[in-house]
Amino acid sequence: MKTYLGVDVGSVTTKLVLINENYDLVASIYSRTQGNPVDMIKKGLQEIRNQMPQEAQIAGVATTGSGRQLAGVMLRADLVKNEITAHAVAAMHYVPDVQTIFEIGGQDSKIIIVRDGIVVDFGMNSVCAAGTGSFLDHQAERLNIRIEDFGSHAMRSQNPARIAGRCTVFAESDMIHKQQMGYPTDDIVYGLSQSLVRNYLNNVALGKAILPKMVFQGGVAFNQGIIKAFNETFHTEVFVPPHNELMGAIGAAMLVHEEMRDDHRKSSFAGFGISNTEYKISSFICKACPNLCEISQIAMDGKVLARWGARCDMWDRIDKK
Amino acid sequence: MSKVGIPRALLYYQYYPVWRSFFEHLGAEVVTSPPTNRTILTAGISRAVADTCLPVKVFLGHTMSLIGKCDYIFIPSMTSFGKKTYNCSKIIGLPNITRAVLPECPIILDPNIDLEKGRWYFYHQIYKLASRFTSNSVKMKKAIDVAWQKQLAYRKKMSDEKITSNQALFDLYGSSHSASSQKNPQGNLTIALLGHPYITNDEYLNHRIIYHLQNMGANVLTSEMAPQTAIDAAATRAVGETHWAFEPDIIGAGQYYTEMKVDGIITLSAFGCGPDSMMIVWVEHRAKETKTPFLPLSLDEHSSGGAMLTRLEAFLDMIKRKGTKLPTPTPAYC
Repeated sequence: MKTYLGVDVGSVTTKLVLINENYDLVASIYSRTQGNPVDMIKKGLQEIRNQMPQEAQIAGVATTGSGRQLAGVMLRADLVKNEITAHAVAAMHYVPDVQTIFEIGGQDSKIIIVRDGIVVDFGMNSVCAAGTGSFLDHQAERLNIRIEDFGSHAMRSQNPARIAGRCTVFAESDMIHKQQMGYPTDDIVYGLSQSLVRNYLNNVALGKAILPKMVFQGGVAFNQGIIKAFNETFHTEVFVPPHNELMGAIGAAMLVHEEMRDDHRKSSFAGFGISNTEYKISSFICKACPNLCEISQIAMDGKVLARWGARCDMWDRIDKK
Repeated sequence: MSKVGIPRALLYYQYYPVWRSFFEHLGAEVVTSPPTNRTILTAGISRAVADTCLPVKVFLGHTMSLIGKCDYIFIPSMTSFGKKTYNCSKIIGLPNITRAVLPECPIILDPNIDLEKGRWYFYHQIYKLASRFTSNSVKMKKAIDVAWQKQLAYRKKMSDEKITSNQALFDLYGSSHSASSQKNPQGNLTIALLGHPYITNDEYLNHRIIYHLQNMGANVLTSEMAPQTAIDAAATRAVGETHWAFEPDIIGAGQYYTEMKVDGIITLSAFGCGPDSMMIVWVEHRAKETKTPFLPLSLDEHSSGGAMLTRLEAFLDMIKRKGTKLPTPTPAYC
């Protein structure tokens, strides 16, 4: 059985999926990156191997997410794809008549506009992480509730507090004020959910033609409070696909399937052995010019595999031994 | 021989040949600051008042790097280039802004180029400037004529050869004017990159956007690659009489390139740019009308270009995948 591995290394979580030629999910891993993508990829790969059926073999590997370059080098991926394309492809598979995709992840959020199965426009949050999962994570911590319980608190709210959503710092002072006014936690939590949705629609989705069917995916789509806030805003049901948190990885796997089939290529996958390989990530400052670029590099057994962070081509060439 | 410093920022990219040639014909030596780098940006930010835009901060950094290397620094107040067409207030006030925040600056040469006030005012300003270097009026006249011819040739070179200001300056003045963007590949994807030349050409600020787009297989067209008359006319077609100095570069080029049916439009602006906030919205509407894929990018002091690359990749993917649908085996859900 031919299977395709999709790896989505995000800022907060790392996702690995294995799909077969019919795009069915064969195995999947969802775990926190914990600031250590290399170990998470290694661990995840081990897990995938354990879940993988005997007869399955890897016919293609794709990486996506903000850590896609790193993961791509480690796994010797056949395809390194940006997360927008990956998310769109997966959503269109699960919901063929989708017209709008909301995706909210750990540190970025995007909206993708689809018409007749073709991406026609997209938007992404700018500099700030307001309106993303990190915002909720921070506020949950402040309120001393677990992020997993955030949704159930929100669902119990009777009279949501109105909280400024433009900026995390403003939201925080607004929230403290509402706490001091005596609002119960449930109302504050749902108020935060509404402010996140408002922020998202006013920034990321500004000027986009939002039409049903709407799909909501990414890790934040686990949160019932946010789903409720979306539904109330649009007076319609926002659809959360199964595996909402894995969509990026699934999309990447689908794309590599498409590419391998079209090109009749053989996968360059590094193999499951890399779980036992030592990778060393280091960084240094290049002093060749006044730009003082911060270069990071990944090495395996003392051999440099790739470098990033330069503003010129000087460090792009890697001596192949 | 007195030395005149020209900061490599803002209107440098559009007018360097005329400025340099003018001063050289008057017998002065021209010193140019190096391409923007981290030291220059950091220096500029440290001295700028809080509300200025990124390009002005960079400009101040360039000016600071010239201090001690020249007798004069040339910072014209480029007010108006035509009837009722004005520049951004920050560009008009540039000599005064610089004087106020950099008191250690050598003498600032600040002719006021204001064509709204008529031809004689313009000549008077140039005469005043030139008299610092010579009292010979024949020499002055010649310097003006030669410099203006140089400028026209420069502008024509960019539109004839379809190259950026950076590349044209490299061809004219050699290695100190480097450019990492190449001549366009013969890709089948054409992208118009709209923005002020001082942003589209400053490879430090824009994270080498042209180079990256070309590496992803796109032909990149900027406003200087279209003939000036064409984008001027296009701007008039689009909005009637223009009132901002940069309207031809953004609205004009937007109109011109959508008429040419490019595959996509990317706008590149600095965070907090007043004129852009209106012009870019105009381009966005135009892109929607003509069903041209559109990506707005805004730049600030980010030192990593990663987020920009993600957007560029996704944008080109969107265009390339137009019409490709994945074969969908029986929809699994809903």
